[in-house]
Amino acid sequence: MPFMRSLISGIQALFHKEQRSQDMNEELQAFQEASTQEKIRQGMSDQQARRAARVEMGSTEAVKHKVRASGWESTAESIWQDIRFSLRMMAKSPGFTAVAILSLALGIGGNTAIFTLIHQVLLRDLPVQNPQQLVTFGNSEGGGVLGGVDLGSYGMFPWYFARQLQANPGPFQGIAAFLSFSPKVSVRLSATGKDHSNAAAILAPANLVSGNYFSILGAQPLLGRAITPADDATPGNGAVVVLSYHFWQQSLSAAPTVLGKTININSTPFTVIGVMPESFHGIKLDLEPTELWTPITMQPVIQQGRSLLTPQNGAYFLHLFGRLSPEATTNKSALAQSQVWLDQQIRTGIRANEGTPISPARQQEINRATVPLISAANGVSTVRSQYGDSLRILMAVVGLVLLIACANLANFLLARAATRQREIATRLALGSSRARIVRQCLIETMLLALSGGLLGLGIAFITTRALIVFFSQGNPYIAMSSTPDLPVLLFTLTVSLATGLLFGLAPALTAARTGSATTLSSNARTAQSSGGKASRFWPKALVTLQVTLSLLLLVGAGLFLRTLRNLQNQDYGFERSHLLLADFNAQLAGYKPSQTPALYQTLLEHLSALPGVRSAALSATPPISSGAWSSTIQLSGYTPAPKENMVSILNRVSGQYFETANIPIIAGRSITPADSASGLKVAVVNQAIANHFFPKGDALGRALTIDIPTVKGPWRIVGIARDTKARGPRNAEPTRMTYIPLAQIEPFVPTAAASSATSGKSGSTATPAPPEENQDRFAGTILVRTTGDPANTIANLRAAVVATDPNLPLLNVTTIQDQVSTFMTRDELISSLTAIFSLLALILASIGLYGVMSYNVVRRTNEIGIRIALGSQLGDVLWMIMKESLLLLAIGIAIGVPATLATGRTIQSQLFGLNATDPQTIITAILTISAVTLIAAWLPAHRATKVNPVVALRYE
Amino acid sequence: MTGKPSDLIQGTLEMLILKTLALEPMHGYGVALRIEQISNGVFRVNPGSLFPALSRLERAVRIKAEWRATENNRRAKYYLLTDQGRKALKEETQQWSRQLAAITSILEA
Repeated sequence: MPFMRSLISGIQALFHKEQRSQDMNEELQAFQEASTQEKIRQGMSDQQARRAARVEMGSTEAVKHKVRASGWESTAESIWQDIRFSLRMMAKSPGFTAVAILSLALGIGGNTAIFTLIHQVLLRDLPVQNPQQLVTFGNSEGGGVLGGVDLGSYGMFPWYFARQLQANPGPFQGIAAFLSFSPKVSVRLSATGKDHSNAAAILAPANLVSGNYFSILGAQPLLGRAITPADDATPGNGAVVVLSYHFWQQSLSAAPTVLGKTININSTPFTVIGVMPESFHGIKLDLEPTELWTPITMQPVIQQGRSLLTPQNGAYFLHLFGRLSPEATTNKSALAQSQVWLDQQIRTGIRANEGTPISPARQQEINRATVPLISAANGVSTVRSQYGDSLRILMAVVGLVLLIACANLANFLLARAATRQREIATRLALGSSRARIVRQCLIETMLLALSGGLLGLGIAFITTRALIVFFSQGNPYIAMSSTPDLPVLLFTLTVSLATGLLFGLAPALTAARTGSATTLSSNARTAQSSGGKASRFWPKALVTLQVTLSLLLLVGAGLFLRTLRNLQNQDYGFERSHLLLADFNAQLAGYKPSQTPALYQTLLEHLSALPGVRSAALSATPPISSGAWSSTIQLSGYTPAPKENMVSILNRVSGQYFETANIPIIAGRSITPADSASGLKVAVVNQAIANHFFPKGDALGRALTIDIPTVKGPWRIVGIARDTKARGPRNAEPTRMTYIPLAQIEPFVPTAAASSATSGKSGSTATPAPPEENQDRFAGTILVRTTGDPANTIANLRAAVVATDPNLPLLNVTTIQDQVSTFMTRDELISSLTAIFSLLALILASIGLYGVMSYNVVRRTNEIGIRIALGSQLGDVLWMIMKESLLLLAIGIAIGVPATLATGRTIQSQLFGLNATDPQTIITAILTISAVTLIAAWLPAHRATKVNPVVALRYE
Repeated sequence: MTGKPSDLIQGTLEMLILKTLALEPMHGYGVALRIEQISNGVFRVNPGSLFPALSRLERAVRIKAEWRATENNRRAKYYLLTDQGRKALKEETQQWSRQLAAITSILEA
């Protein structure tokens, strides 16, 4: 309460200044009067008494000042005065103010933008209760359906095992499961049920979750209820769905009556039971956030394939996570116990799956099996694993840029403090305290820093929006936002204040150190131009720092740009122009596998007939893709060593695939349209397989079997294709590829189908129970080779697909260049941003150097004039000024090169095709910084030679 | 007389003012005079310290001010002790006694 009183009376004092002053006058008058009376009473004469009382009082103004200074409002008032003074000073030199605020805004804006992303991608906790208690079982980043692996490999688990742990969570508060990826499903909203065939289908990512998923996560729905164990009790039952906030808003217009409504997912009716809050996207944060959650019991509908809900064995398609007990969250040994318990469950599970007897070697291996508990407080994020390192590097880069901007401003302010020495000396002489001068200087820099920060927020907003568009890679909706939230605002404020302190403190202290006596003397210019040792050391040190940091950034930018160029310019094994790709899904349109040959034939005919199209083909996956269909293979005439890696990437392709993708055939022949269902089953392998398994060059004619029952073979190898970068441009090892004709895949699944297949995101190995059609007859990608720019054919391609079947969903149409560049988004991001920021750093550093050198020339005008008057040659003057800059440059480089070599190691993993110590890059960077430094130093030096000795000697 | 008036010990002025006002409400000069008289002229409070101290005490609601007529019928600002001021005086007096006792015992040891 006293605080409030003080605040109120302080504010009153501020607003009733006149009244207060009068009161004080009257009171002091009364005091003096009383004092005089008292003194008269003691026997002084009237005049003596008056005099003594006045002496006692001293200056009434001084007393009034002291009274005013006893309250907080006087400090506030003087700060306000300082602020107004600072604003006037800033307005007086608009050029400096603009450059200062702009460079700060760029520096702070860059930091804020990168921090916004880091905060969202790396730091933010899941919006659930006690997220720090959540752990995933193994790394849950991968996705797909696996077979033939040990429990927990790649963080993948089968359904029966997930159920066991759900029922008996041991030391955990609970264990829940979810599908390892979120396949796109086709949703039809049926408002009344009568017109649902007309409603347009929406494609949305859906996830399968166990009944306790939401309760273990600790996530409360916004509307309705979440999925419960009762929904997830029996396979095939529990057709209920929980919607994301975004889906509810976007597709259902946020209708509050949505609960209890029926929507069709993959042609099966589901009841809407709940809507999640806006911030909730599940435990796994994919780039394209999950929009729908249904119980795992609905797996065959969501994945449109064979049921994986088998009571024993079964495919590995789920990720598991648990909620630790509160003790295990804080106590290491309790956490270790949870880990031990989990490993026991895993080992028991593996043993149960082994045939008997288990060999001692295998026994040993099982005893070593472990599935690490990984903290999931921030959720599982593929964006994080893909961009985390890049963002950290970028944060360091923008931090360096801000440092350079700070060094710049510190330099300018030091120079200004020198020119303001007279003003400061005058103020000191008039009785200002040094603390007050430091405060005024700091207020000035804080004003600059905060204005820079404010402008920086705007820059950050625009930058972040651009970066998010970059991240989204064409996805219309991703769970990232450029709007700054509270942590971001706090970050910006902190950075601004720290920046202000960093560049303001040294000049403020220098200013306050001004000696009043010498500066005010008539020959002030000698005092100024000689300066203190410190006043000459700091500007140089700061310029050297800028050179060093700029060199660091330039080398970084050079390394990343060359990495990008190396990635782009390598041999991909297929041609990267004139090829258009489109993802499509006949399965979602309701086609049965038996209908595909006719569909594909029509489609290919329509596509080939398009103007500007040379050839068209279909395949399971594009020539380069991240999700892959793969399996172990067996080759006749080759006996694998124990445990030998026999995995090959597979692709099923239509007749003209090799011509269309332009993958050269090295030996034998390619797959042609003549390889029909009735013909001999043929396959093409790539060089990696041929050379590795048949180094003598006798691969042709061998029989190849694939360990996936639906495409087992045997297939006769009829051709050898060139190696391609099928798994992305960074794979240095040649990727093994096996191509089989789409037309020759068996229409039905052999009855003894056991799941020993490995499959990618498409989940396309799934097959329904007998009499089962073979789902592996579906293709997923259209390839069109064009004569001109493939982008011009996009509209025609869409038209051709619509002409074939208007319901056939085209998911994504890209040119091969775009498809390839999706593998390099990280490299593009980091290289373009470091390039921009290092350019910015270079500009800032050159402005800094130019400023310091110009200031030096101005300061030494006198001296230069004398030198010229005494007969110094212009070249000597030029050299005298340049010498100083060259020394700073040399020192900067001498420090910068070892610093570059030392930091280079930390970014080595981000580079491709060159070393962090790449001499060419370092030399280029040194040349660039030298050239810029020389130009920045030459201009003032040149001006020095123009000095007119007569003017210079009079110069003050 | 014991020579020149000495400076007050830091922080004791406010306590002395409170003590003075505890007897009766007084105007500024009255406070100064009373302190000087009671201390036999050892402490002399000049307006430059007195008024800021009064202002601080008023701000802290330990005293409040009223304009009243003096004995010679002139207007003067009188200061009164509030309940909070009385409490503060008690606390500060106790604390002062404790410190004084401690200092004395150190000096005499």
